[in-house]
Amino acid sequence: MSKLGARSVIAVPYIWLLLFFLVPFIIVFKISFAEMQYSIPPYTELVEFVDEVLTINLNIGNYYYLIDDSLYAKAYLSSVRIAFFATIGALLIGYPMAYAIARADANTRNALLMMVMLPSWTSFLIRIYAWVGILKNNGLINNGLMSIGIIDEPIALLNTELAVYIGIVYAYLPFMVLPIYTNLVKLDNSLLEASADLGCPPWKTFLTVTLPLSKAGIIAGSMLVFIPSVGEFVIPEMLGGAETLMIGKVLWQEFFNNRDWPVASAVAIVMLLLLLVPITFFHRYQSRELEA
Amino acid sequence: MSDAAPSPMLEIRNVTKRFGQLSAVKNVSLSISKGEIFALLGGSGCGKTTLLRMMSGFETPSEGAILIDGEDVSQVPPYKRQVNMMFQSYALFPHMTVEQNVAFGLKQDKLPKAEIDAQVEGMLKLVHMTEYAKRKPNQLSGGQRQRVALARSLAKKPKVLLLDEPMGALDKKLRGQMQLELVDIIESVGVTCVMVTHDQEEAMTMANRVSIMHLGEIMQVGSPSEIYEFPNSRHTAEFIGSVNIFDATVQHVGTESSQLSSEDLDCVLQVEGGINALEGAHVGVAVRPEKIYMSRSKPEQGENWALGKVHDIAYLGGHSVYHVRLPSGKVVMATTTNVDRHEQRLTWEDDVYLYWSASSSVVLYQ
Repeated sequence: MSKLGARSVIAVPYIWLLLFFLVPFIIVFKISFAEMQYSIPPYTELVEFVDEVLTINLNIGNYYYLIDDSLYAKAYLSSVRIAFFATIGALLIGYPMAYAIARADANTRNALLMMVMLPSWTSFLIRIYAWVGILKNNGLINNGLMSIGIIDEPIALLNTELAVYIGIVYAYLPFMVLPIYTNLVKLDNSLLEASADLGCPPWKTFLTVTLPLSKAGIIAGSMLVFIPSVGEFVIPEMLGGAETLMIGKVLWQEFFNNRDWPVASAVAIVMLLLLLVPITFFHRYQSRELEA
Repeated sequence: MSDAAPSPMLEIRNVTKRFGQLSAVKNVSLSISKGEIFALLGGSGCGKTTLLRMMSGFETPSEGAILIDGEDVSQVPPYKRQVNMMFQSYALFPHMTVEQNVAFGLKQDKLPKAEIDAQVEGMLKLVHMTEYAKRKPNQLSGGQRQRVALARSLAKKPKVLLLDEPMGALDKKLRGQMQLELVDIIESVGVTCVMVTHDQEEAMTMANRVSIMHLGEIMQVGSPSEIYEFPNSRHTAEFIGSVNIFDATVQHVGTESSQLSSEDLDCVLQVEGGINALEGAHVGVAVRPEKIYMSRSKPEQGENWALGKVHDIAYLGGHSVYHVRLPSGKVVMATTTNVDRHEQRLTWEDDVYLYWSASSSVVLYQ
């Protein structure tokens, strides 16, 4: 009875994942081998049964097309590059934040954590849209700088890659701060004292004790920022302008502008395969940590 | 502190530590000589840990000075002091092997690698941990971790070794064994050692000198036997071992012996020598339970006896503790060694005479 109970508890999330992750994935995977056609749905069926002949049409042309047109390779590379540097940016800002929160006394700690999480309670879209108002030519930053006379004419901030970095770092910062915080707050203070006691000045203690011991938090936070950033659509669309090439945008264009669902599906599948590399790495590391 | 050497290794001069309104340590002075094992003993919140943390540099004294080998280190940060601590939790670095843990302090001194390796090897040999050099702390038992922590804190050859509740994380059986082993190692190295503990047995087993702390002050400093046999206050007498204290009034002060009276006793209380109090003063007279004899017949001596009923018996195997209730209602403890297995022992509600010699009693003034 208890075994049945335990199984049914585990079954719920698995059924959920099966229905809402695996099934959609299979559908997308299937479409990626179809051909585009002007109909509803806008793609051919893989399996046809006409006149007692069963034909399976597997079209790998979509994938071939991705290799053939350098736009896709460029978009993938550019996405990975932007996600990578945005992750580093989030880490550089997030780590000191997490450190300060973890070192604060218990009461302020909760208030500070709340402040990190509070922005996520409003719509993602609205927050990104707010950045448009801040970064545009007659926006908050440019108007501010011009009114105190530092610049004469507005500097282009919106529709640049910089704006995309700002957007990603801003939006995903809590995902960096929280895992690192959880890690640092567990750090035994007597380890830092032991290090000082053995002759290590504070900056060196940070490098030899604190940093290595928070590695798990750094990796978890970086993955949580990097993986969704690669496929990010809203931020490059709203802040990045025409020149910023990211795979999320390409995907959108294939789906909604070109209505080429098979190619769009192929783009999505390749992106997933690309992300599988850091995800496996992360998973490996985590299970190794659990063993230790 | 008349027994301290002329130039002490560690000197605490009128040190006070305040945390806001609270004084954790109040005007403490101590002098610890080279090679000594010194114990700070007291209950929780007595200020012993704060005092230790000031020695290591994790706290700065509000007033007074701390001198190590004649040099004032009160304002010197921990990483510049020639003092190393073995932490209660051991605080071994979980991401480093045993070897790397022991080498950690030596690396900070930028010694050549060969020298570090040799030193680490020697230290691991000293604590019998050579074959565990490549293990991580979480692969070690509690006793093994303690050995590594000791090796790490000794590796830099500190002038003073600090031990914070050294047996606090070990189970009872391992404690007795590690206490003696730790002392052997510390003595073989010859390092001056200050330990903090709340366990009187541990302090008395390990230390040459013990100081009793209470409410931020040092109550008494002395060898374990001095503190046990000649406590100078009720607090010390009660903290170390068990004791019977009679509230008494001084009747006569003599040179050979002095007499007191107590409401709990029908006879006169006699103590050896004089008393530093006027006749009529109220003092305490302490007698340890093992110094009280029990008998079914009336003792011959005219003083220092009482008649009571056995109220409770705690059989502890090697010896038994009898709780005897006097007519006044006071309960007096007396211990007997269980030498004979078949002897006719006293039992509950038996009438029993208690008696002790004048030389067994100690007068407590405060």
